[in-house]
Amino acid sequence: MDFIFRLALKNLTRHRLRTFVSITAVAVCVMVVVFTRGLVEGMVNSMIRDHIYYNSGHVKVVDRHYYEQERLLPLNHPVDGFSRKSLDEMTADLEGIDGVEMVLPRLKFGAMVSTESELVTMTGWGVDIDKELKFTSIERYLVEGRMPSPGKLEVVMGTKLLEKISRGVGDKVTIVFNTAFGSFRGVTFTIVGRLHSGVQLLNEHVVLLPLDEAQRLLYMDGQVTELIVAAEDLGSVPQVLASIEALIAERGEAERYQAISYRDTSDLIAWLDVGKIVYNCIYVFLILLACIVVNNTMLMIVQERTKEIGTMAALGLERKGILQMFLAEGGIMGIIGSLIGAGLGAGLTAYLARVGLDFTADLEGLSADVVFDAVVYPESSWTNTLFAFALGVMIVAVSCLIPARRAAKLEPSVAMRDE
Amino acid sequence: MALLELRGVAKVYQQGRIAVPALRGIDLEVEAGEFVAIFGPSGSGKTTLLNLIGCLDKPTAGTLVFDGVELIGLDQKGLAKVRRENIGFIFQSYNLIPVLTAYENVEFAIRLLNRHDKRELRERVMEMLAAVGLEGLENRKPNELSGGQKQRVAIARALVKEPKLVLADEPTANLDSKTSEEVLEVMVKMNKELGTTFIFSTHDPRVMEYAARLVEIRDGLISSDRRRDGAVVSH
Repeated sequence: MDFIFRLALKNLTRHRLRTFVSITAVAVCVMVVVFTRGLVEGMVNSMIRDHIYYNSGHVKVVDRHYYEQERLLPLNHPVDGFSRKSLDEMTADLEGIDGVEMVLPRLKFGAMVSTESELVTMTGWGVDIDKELKFTSIERYLVEGRMPSPGKLEVVMGTKLLEKISRGVGDKVTIVFNTAFGSFRGVTFTIVGRLHSGVQLLNEHVVLLPLDEAQRLLYMDGQVTELIVAAEDLGSVPQVLASIEALIAERGEAERYQAISYRDTSDLIAWLDVGKIVYNCIYVFLILLACIVVNNTMLMIVQERTKEIGTMAALGLERKGILQMFLAEGGIMGIIGSLIGAGLGAGLTAYLARVGLDFTADLEGLSADVVFDAVVYPESSWTNTLFAFALGVMIVAVSCLIPARRAAKLEPSVAMRDE
Repeated sequence: MALLELRGVAKVYQQGRIAVPALRGIDLEVEAGEFVAIFGPSGSGKTTLLNLIGCLDKPTAGTLVFDGVELIGLDQKGLAKVRRENIGFIFQSYNLIPVLTAYENVEFAIRLLNRHDKRELRERVMEMLAAVGLEGLENRKPNELSGGQKQRVAIARALVKEPKLVLADEPTANLDSKTSEEVLEVMVKMNKELGTTFIFSTHDPRVMEYAARLVEIRDGLISSDRRRDGAVVSH
């Protein structure tokens, strides 16, 4: 067997350019697979992550009527505890569920700021700053100033929003909004921080303020518009969801409150799963393209070496040995190509995972409803690299079966007549 | 018992709907240690006969017994085993593997047997290369050898596994007369020293002079079979 392997290795040096082209084809395709897979994984995971951080949590608990009109940000269907008793108790009950890491209260409301030329609309988010910092990556986006402090009329806004209202950190801004009673109110805040994010929602639409101040100003003490439940991991979400639904039912609030998994708060999530399957097919197709080159090389090799195959068979090499020899030749090209491709792909992905790919300009017109960070960080992982390497080796080896079998099936007397 | 026994061996090639008979009933017995030349004009069936004897092809009719084993019933694997263990081949175009050195080409045949340890194998190959006069050339690849040297490598490759039979299809056809003589002398020497049976095809009268027995084939039939002294061999 080692002799057959050595012979296969030597055979690959016969036409070095041809071997080089075949290996290069495999390497390029495997590299593209590693990088594309890393990029797609990075995009998908970032979309899911941002959707969870800034929209739905792993599970979101809301009033059913609120959910129906969520786009309008109504304040008359709040979450205010089981039997309207205590929001803190409800939060504690939810945090007591197995698999729940924390529960974040959010109070969302429509707001606007008047500039000299226009009214700029925005969404106010009253949040528990400490919990938000623990759960989301919002601190990463704070490029100037600090987060607002509880009990103070302070806000943080995104760069784009600040540009729209022609303000900067340290300036005052008067924000106008409707209270829970429907009255119109204007309050002046100090801008204490600036967020700069690829997530359009944070950059252009959201104004963050402390929850206690939001509740006070909106006349919604002890009330929020949604409770965001953070689970320990994505895998535990179905079980956490079931437990929350059971708790809501147990407290007789099933008519009022609704628990929704992150998967059900965006149609995009289901499409991402379909996308992953489609991309997996594309990866296989990409490698198959490389296989055409390798396959063609192998067919040429068999054609050229027909007489030699006949000689080897005449000397007593069995069909199995001939098959092994050609599979080894294809396999070596597959392994070397896949190894180079996987290495280059992993290097490229790791580099871009550090610096990121900025699609901000391309995603300029994208709706803010799509919570997506325009700076994509491809995911560099061993699993991804190994997947592409194994896929490359496997498909190349399988594609070599046809020419190898053709070689093995040659009758020695016929093969030796070949000129 | 004869080493090789052919009875009524026929071979018909099918070319589309046309059946082309290459051999039409060959009876032949070859004893161990013989040095036999098969001669005849082109297309007379010499190569077909060697292919059948060498288990490279199967006859359409007749029986073929080699060393007491009926070959007709053997499958591909069985025929490969017979070739690997008992038959050495020498081809007109040498048929050496171009990427392998002279040493490795010879080693290839013996490697297939899986019988020898590394040291033993090396000794055996080097011995055989020396026996055919290729000492010091073992690391040369076929493209660095002359025609005669290549054929010597082929002879060493055929003999290294100590086969019972060596088949040579026009072994000197691509060589000049001086080199042909040298190669034939090596074959005769090996026949005498090792007692290996040689059957070779040729249409060169000078080559036939080296044979101890001459079998003539015409139109797929043996037209004469006699020893060097003129004695007719009966079947």
